[in-house]
Amino acid sequence: MIAYTVPLFLRGRVITDDLVTFGTRKGVAQFQAPDMTKYVARLPLHSPAEMSDLYRLSFDEILDVLEALGNALDFDTNTHLQEAYEASLVANVLPAEMLKNSYRVLRPLFSRENVTEIADSQVGLDYLNGWVPHTLRDGREQRVRAFGSRTLHIPAGNGGLVSAVTILRSVITRSDVIIKAPSNDPLTAVAIARTLADVAPNHPITKHLAVGYWKGGDPAVEETLYQPHHIEKIVAWGGLASVKHITRYIQPGLELIALDPKRSATIIGAEAFADEATMHDVARRAATDIGVANQEGCANARVIYVLTGTDAEGLTKANRLGELIYRELMSLPAVVSTPPLYPDRELLDHLEASRMTEDFYRVIGGEQREGAIVVSQFDEAVDYSPMLSGRVANIVPVDDIDKVTAAVNSYTQTIGIYPESLKRRLRDTLPLFGAQRLTSLGYACNVAVASPQDAIEPIRRMCKWIVDEECDPQTVIPLWQLTPA
Amino acid sequence: MAVTQKTARSVTEFMDDPISFFGQSYTQMHSIGRDELEALQRQAMSIRFQQHHQSIEMLRKLADRLGITAVTEFNDVVPLFFSHTAFKSYPAVLIDKKRFDLMTKWLDKLTSYDLSGVDISGCSGIDDWIDRLDEQTPLEVITSSGTTGTISILPKDKRGAEEGMTLWKICLFQTFGREPTEKELNPSVDVVWPNFANGKLGHLRIANMIKRGFTGGDETKFHALYPFAVDTDLMFLASKMRAAASRGELGRLEIDPALAARKDEFIAMQERQAQDMDAFFTRITEQLRGKQVFMLGTYHLMYDIAKAGLQRGVRNVFAPDSAILTGGGMKGVALPDDFMDVIKDFLGVDRIQVGYGFSESSTFHWACSEGRYHVAPWVIPFVLDPDTSEPLPRTGVQTGRAAVYDILLRAHWGGVISGDEVTIDWDLHCPCGQSSVAFEPDIIRYSEKEGFEDDRITCAATHEVHNEAVNFMKGIDL
Repeated sequence: MIAYTVPLFLRGRVITDDLVTFGTRKGVAQFQAPDMTKYVARLPLHSPAEMSDLYRLSFDEILDVLEALGNALDFDTNTHLQEAYEASLVANVLPAEMLKNSYRVLRPLFSRENVTEIADSQVGLDYLNGWVPHTLRDGREQRVRAFGSRTLHIPAGNGGLVSAVTILRSVITRSDVIIKAPSNDPLTAVAIARTLADVAPNHPITKHLAVGYWKGGDPAVEETLYQPHHIEKIVAWGGLASVKHITRYIQPGLELIALDPKRSATIIGAEAFADEATMHDVARRAATDIGVANQEGCANARVIYVLTGTDAEGLTKANRLGELIYRELMSLPAVVSTPPLYPDRELLDHLEASRMTEDFYRVIGGEQREGAIVVSQFDEAVDYSPMLSGRVANIVPVDDIDKVTAAVNSYTQTIGIYPESLKRRLRDTLPLFGAQRLTSLGYACNVAVASPQDAIEPIRRMCKWIVDEECDPQTVIPLWQLTPA
Repeated sequence: MAVTQKTARSVTEFMDDPISFFGQSYTQMHSIGRDELEALQRQAMSIRFQQHHQSIEMLRKLADRLGITAVTEFNDVVPLFFSHTAFKSYPAVLIDKKRFDLMTKWLDKLTSYDLSGVDISGCSGIDDWIDRLDEQTPLEVITSSGTTGTISILPKDKRGAEEGMTLWKICLFQTFGREPTEKELNPSVDVVWPNFANGKLGHLRIANMIKRGFTGGDETKFHALYPFAVDTDLMFLASKMRAAASRGELGRLEIDPALAARKDEFIAMQERQAQDMDAFFTRITEQLRGKQVFMLGTYHLMYDIAKAGLQRGVRNVFAPDSAILTGGGMKGVALPDDFMDVIKDFLGVDRIQVGYGFSESSTFHWACSEGRYHVAPWVIPFVLDPDTSEPLPRTGVQTGRAAVYDILLRAHWGGVISGDEVTIDWDLHCPCGQSSVAFEPDIIRYSEKEGFEDDRITCAATHEVHNEAVNFMKGIDL
């Protein structure tokens, strides 16, 4: 059964010829896409000179186009988005209501105010739109401009927002962009591209966008395309295996911007147990960090350290918080969180084994595969913590904060912390171990686009920082006049 | 007198000594009528559940939570099945911190034996702990190793190990349809073991059992590829390394000083491996050429050895009536289509026997002439829905997750769910003549099917994992 087709969007043209078939994560369903080996030669620009049209655009015009794009990304009327939604029902693990909602948040992303904030805070409008002058101490006049680059993007597929952000970042940097559609979100990037072609046909922004699907790791496509004469940068999200795979193509002239797989953590201070009302508030915040989009994201809470201590009183507190978090988790609205459609069988087996190992663990809920809280009865996370997903989290009581810092490493992205005073106390230490974003408990999955990501500034990294300098021999001593020091 | 003609059937003998019950005869084991067998199985299952409900705390708690006080029909037992995770549910940090008191307490809740009196004072590591359990209890614990940083610990017992070997002999040397001869009942053969000589790790533990069971205790008749033992603590280190690497924490991994002190010894072993392999081939060609042997290993291991042998010009090495047993998944390295021919060419035997089983159960199910794995009579097979673990009907052709209730398991609970996708044609009467239910030949691990990283180290990977740990130790200053 062919569930959907992923067309090739080639710089304004929509191609559905030479279709080949691929499997989906749902056994019988398959999808089709043009055989990329037949089109790969046409994916990259023929010549970098073709990017000059992007530099004839004013930033105002870029804002106009993105605003028009945003206005057209109205889920109720945009058939491309509706098609993308239908495909994601087959390709994605999230339930229908949640997926539908993920399309509704696209429109405000492209508003003038939002785009301007991102461009100005993450790169600087001056640098994007012209040469920024600066006189150095030695007298030379230096001017710096951020140029776009020829970039290949491999976005993650656990939400349509990633594809939208990818396009937004590319447009504001005046980049030429090729997007490899993710198999678990196959049509969102294509839908946005097609909408762009509708609102801005033949516009340079439309002509510098290509979106298509090939199986990740297909050498017939990748060995041809991943060459410094075709692309300058690869922005790769997601799985360890796929990022590792791409590194084989990295060479001088072809840079990797890796937005690696990440995991996140949570730290809850003793203040959370001050009174009933505070405990309930903390439980709701923690449940939100666990539950958003069914814990599919890298920012979701998984292991939650609580500074209760590990004596009997501390364990009682941790267990009580576990009960409260579980209750809040179950009452999250369906548009935010639901029981997972495809719970991880292996994880559930571990959960049941922990339930039988009550000397070390207390398992709250999980018997209906609805999600669960495992409260460790000592100061270690469960051994299967890397598997935590589908609304299963682990509360770990600890005696002091050193135990927590030991658990933070280079794969740690977000740490949700309660209260703020604890966060301020930890913010100069946790980054040394690898933490990349510290946020108020309850906001882990509320991620700003106008922000560094994974401890880098991806939009700046997508730019080429070009220097033009003017040296007047009267001011800057020429090397030809240099005398021995 | 054939077993089917016996009148007074003792369920006690069936469940506690099935070998005598079936007159040590493979033919009788697989000739009993299905209705008769199922009646025996139901009774035995019900009795064993009551025994284990008393003696195994984890089972009792699970049954109590589910409100199960008795099992009478086959499907009654399904909610009580343990997954492989039950045998690795202890926190791995207990081993790091050498809390073998707590490990013993944990294991005590999984086994029917009382471990409360075990003296573990000064216990230095996993191998030491297992030695103490060996010495002080009826257990003969085996472990399997995982990539998640936790190894499974299966509380098997010595009695089961002995029965297991007797059953292997029955299955290996007898032919269905013919009552056993004296020679078939008491074979004494050289054992070829293309693996490490010893170790506590599941399949290596078998080495000692085989040594006892097949060679009559004559050490010189046991021929291992590598003469040394795999150290379980070293394998645990390898397992922790993988887990640490997946968390980006390899740099923070601490190595137990007791293990670190043996670094040079491990490296020396590793460097001797090529030499050991040469010596192995010299031995089997000079001492064993033309002899009846028992050799076993996974497909992968068998193929590697056969290829290495053929490259050295060694072929048709053993007597044609040798017992060769293989099995295991096709995971990891893909074997060429003609791999079985390569193995046969090297071995020079008439037939290669294949079995199916998993370590949480104890029984191996032998393949018949049709390639089906016939289920031993004291094992009740189930095909479960792979996602929900609900039992599928015991009629028609069913494909799903394999689970078994192994009545013969006394030391631990016999209801276990595998990670394998199997098919059973419940209505089939196999043309091979055996009356027993059988798993169809195509068996695949779900993890393999779904392309996930497997959590097990198979025999085939032991060598690589061992080297991985040694290489890691080489790379750091200890």
